[in-house]
Amino acid sequence: MASADATVRAPDAETAPAAAVGVAHQIPRNTLALLMVGQTAVILPYLQQLSIWIVAVGLFCGMWRTNIYLGRWDYPKRWVKAVLVAACIAGVALTGVGAFSLEAMASLLVSMFALKLIEMKNRRDAYVVIFLGYFAIAIQFLFEQQLLLALYQVGSFILVTAAMVSLNQLQVAARPLPSLKLAALLAAQAIPLTLVMFLLFPRMAPLWTVPLPGSSVTGLSDSVRPGDVANLTQSDELAFRVVVNGPMPPPSQRYWRGLVYSDFEDGGWKARERRRARDYPLPRSTDLEYEVLLEPTMQTWLYALEHSTSVHSNVYLTLDGRLESSDPIMSVFRYRAVRHDKPDSPAPISEQIRIRETTIDPEANPRLQALGRALIAEHGTPMAMTREILNRIRREPYAYTLSPPTYPGRDAFDGFWFEGRSGFCEHYASAYVYLMRSAGIPARLVGGYLGGEVNELSGHLMVRQYDAHAWAEFYDPELGWFRVDPTAAVAPQRVERGLSAALSSADLASLPLLSSARIGNWDLAGSVLRWMDSVEHRWNLWVVGYDSNVQYRLLGDLLGEVNAARIGIAILIGGGLGLGVVALVIFWGRRPVHRHPVERAFRGFSEALAAYGYVRRPEESPAAFVRRVADEVGLKEAQVGPLIAELDTLLYNPGVAWGGRELRALRSQLRRLQFRLAFGTTR
Amino acid sequence: MSDLPLTGDAPVARRRELFVGKRFSRWLDRRIPPKDRITLSQKNVFIFPTATGFAFGGLVALLILGAINYQASLVYGVAFLLGSLFLVTILYTFRNLSGLTLELAGARPGFVGEDVEISIRVTRPEGRAREGIQLGWPEGILQWAELTGQVSDTVRLYVRAPSRGYFNPGRLLVETYFPLGLLRAWTWVDLDVNALVYPRPVFGDFPRSVSGHRDEGQLIDPLGSDDFSDIKSYRPGDPVRHIIWRSYARSDELMVKQYASYVEPRLWLTLDGVSGDLEEKVSRLTGLALKATRADREFGLDLGTVRISPARGEAHLEQVLKELALHGLR
Repeated sequence: MASADATVRAPDAETAPAAAVGVAHQIPRNTLALLMVGQTAVILPYLQQLSIWIVAVGLFCGMWRTNIYLGRWDYPKRWVKAVLVAACIAGVALTGVGAFSLEAMASLLVSMFALKLIEMKNRRDAYVVIFLGYFAIAIQFLFEQQLLLALYQVGSFILVTAAMVSLNQLQVAARPLPSLKLAALLAAQAIPLTLVMFLLFPRMAPLWTVPLPGSSVTGLSDSVRPGDVANLTQSDELAFRVVVNGPMPPPSQRYWRGLVYSDFEDGGWKARERRRARDYPLPRSTDLEYEVLLEPTMQTWLYALEHSTSVHSNVYLTLDGRLESSDPIMSVFRYRAVRHDKPDSPAPISEQIRIRETTIDPEANPRLQALGRALIAEHGTPMAMTREILNRIRREPYAYTLSPPTYPGRDAFDGFWFEGRSGFCEHYASAYVYLMRSAGIPARLVGGYLGGEVNELSGHLMVRQYDAHAWAEFYDPELGWFRVDPTAAVAPQRVERGLSAALSSADLASLPLLSSARIGNWDLAGSVLRWMDSVEHRWNLWVVGYDSNVQYRLLGDLLGEVNAARIGIAILIGGGLGLGVVALVIFWGRRPVHRHPVERAFRGFSEALAAYGYVRRPEESPAAFVRRVADEVGLKEAQVGPLIAELDTLLYNPGVAWGGRELRALRSQLRRLQFRLAFGTTR
Repeated sequence: MSDLPLTGDAPVARRRELFVGKRFSRWLDRRIPPKDRITLSQKNVFIFPTATGFAFGGLVALLILGAINYQASLVYGVAFLLGSLFLVTILYTFRNLSGLTLELAGARPGFVGEDVEISIRVTRPEGRAREGIQLGWPEGILQWAELTGQVSDTVRLYVRAPSRGYFNPGRLLVETYFPLGLLRAWTWVDLDVNALVYPRPVFGDFPRSVSGHRDEGQLIDPLGSDDFSDIKSYRPGDPVRHIIWRSYARSDELMVKQYASYVEPRLWLTLDGVSGDLEEKVSRLTGLALKATRADREFGLDLGTVRISPARGEAHLEQVLKELALHGLR
């Protein structure tokens, strides 16, 4: 027996007898196996965000650890670790992300996670790896929030939890499967409580500014050059979903304004306006209520119908009539908006804005400038001039195509309008705005999405990147800002029925497969995709998009009034219920009564006999009880002998196999005896 | 039954510090009175987060902070799932100890300075298995009880015996970190253990006892001089005093008387037969008893107050050792 002193020595005392000290602080092999699998599962979704360097280091560490696990290799020397750390730092630096960006943080986290793997020796190290694993699972949700990823991460969560469970099980007996089962059970039982906390825990405004994920997200940008919007049609990624309260507006009315490009610079358009509208004429009658669930854009602009306002605490109206969020949209953002009727008397625009909205480069596109001046001189009003421009587009051989020729140089708009005559929405809108501005009429390019597809399953509208569109607005003192879509003149189908209807077959063939399916070329695949979208939509609606505004509304409905006391009470009641359910499951049936089936069968018999005065004594076996009763009544041996033998055999002879048939026979024998006793005795 | 010497995170010495507090000890005596059979319930099981548990709490707080700053619903989700996991674990950890019955299964005597073996039977209710249960005395090593495949397990614990007599090692620590190691549920039970501790043996030579009676004795020392035993012919070297001169006068042959001592053949262990103070004497007698048994000699014990007639064998030895262990203590 080892001395007691040796066994309580610190875990890292290398001189301590290995047999006595080691076991207590070693990581069980079961845990190691689960940790390695769990860690791989946690790192996999990061492959998108990480540089190849970090992935390589991670794989190398995994290989090293596997070899340690198999007993082939030793723990790495110090210089090996130093090289690996250097490789990780170089890897983070080489990704080109800022030192304090979220990507850099994630890279460092995954590197630490991987490096700890080869360093891990005792239980505390194992706990560090487990905690890092949980952390990495959570951080991944800053980059993506899809339902599928969430389901995947539930699996990773269970794996990591299983590793923690296995650390506390009897090491010689533990196997991965029971650990996994218990971890899954624990997670399942934690879910009711999680839901209660998720619903009720007060959502707060950010406490300080944090680095944001990089803007590698597909979507509209705040500067547009001809060709940019056409590129977006290559993507079938979702831009946002809309739930409309009431009838869905027709496709031609679904102009989702996002950006207003007021500044013309270097042959392109820029959207810079972020100022709040101060005296927007409110309130006016409500025309349409809707809610938008915007996918992460990493930008602040929001998409809304014209003349919309929102009461969301984070959303404000800009000077150019758009909705803008106070913070960049990093996860699905849910906001309600209301479209109002057009104001009767439009607000006048300031001189400053008039100048901005009529600015062009006097050197560029001289032919368009000349045309604009000629048109206003001929037609007089902006409206008449617009009509003439649209007529010209209709009349003359203009073409709508995804892949127009490139129009180089400063005079690109001239090249499009007078020579190429084929282009995408932004070509037409740009040329129109340029013409109007040449005539001294305030006009601006507007970027956003047009149309969208209604998902019949849940009735919401899906707007995808290929729905991106550009149109124009001009200002008239009578009308206010008036929307003009020159694309409608060249390709009316685009406005009425969506992109696919407007594209030539050559253009359609150039689209990626999934976009093509979504646009409606494949029916079956399309319906599956719509179903998935409907599920994803509900996920966004209730989980990802659940923020302080949604919470406030929901709690208002649930509690009547939202205040700290009510929320506190609701948390207590909900938490108590959530935990109570688990307690019931755990403690209920803690002591199941395993009575022998023969005893159970006999109990009915002896209770019936007690009514006749024959009470079974506690120490009597069933056979002894029958024997005593039979003796008292004076039954013959032949009448009870077989039953007594059978009782003893079934109860006490483990060597005899028996089943339902024997049990039924025994019951009928007992019934017969009961009958005989009931009528054969006067007691 | 596993004999893996497993300890938790905290060194035993630190636990003892916690344990030794007099006031705490008195409070424990009131709360969990000594009994030879104790069933654990909410009355006598304590539960508190471990250091790992507090770190886990820190992780949850960190994640909630991140969720607030990034306004990320799913990060809230992960944080709440972890928090709920912690709360659910409280029930699990408590349930793991609650309902267990502990009883003394036996104590094997030992010598002072060595380990006494004390067996504790741990029985769980039917139904759910219990995992990761450790028990032990602060002075000894924690052992794991295996209660997954079986309803009952007997755990052998070893405690260093400080002095002879009946030894109560104090309160037994029963603890578990199951299932996640975030919480520790534990209890201190007093099972009224009374393990017999024999004196530390000191080995020496058998005393040459010279008393005895002819009728009981056996010739052991032929060179003794107490009693006449035989006559034989003289050989050079025989004491001249023993020559029978009358016989020489008759037969011209030198004959010598032979004397022998009737040494007590059955060894008597007495306090007077050994040197030192009482403890040393008892130790020496213990050593002699062991030595005699090993040599398969009969021996008896006479302590004045107690007298055990000579015999041999393990049972006799145990009886003698017990008397030696308890001598002067009752």
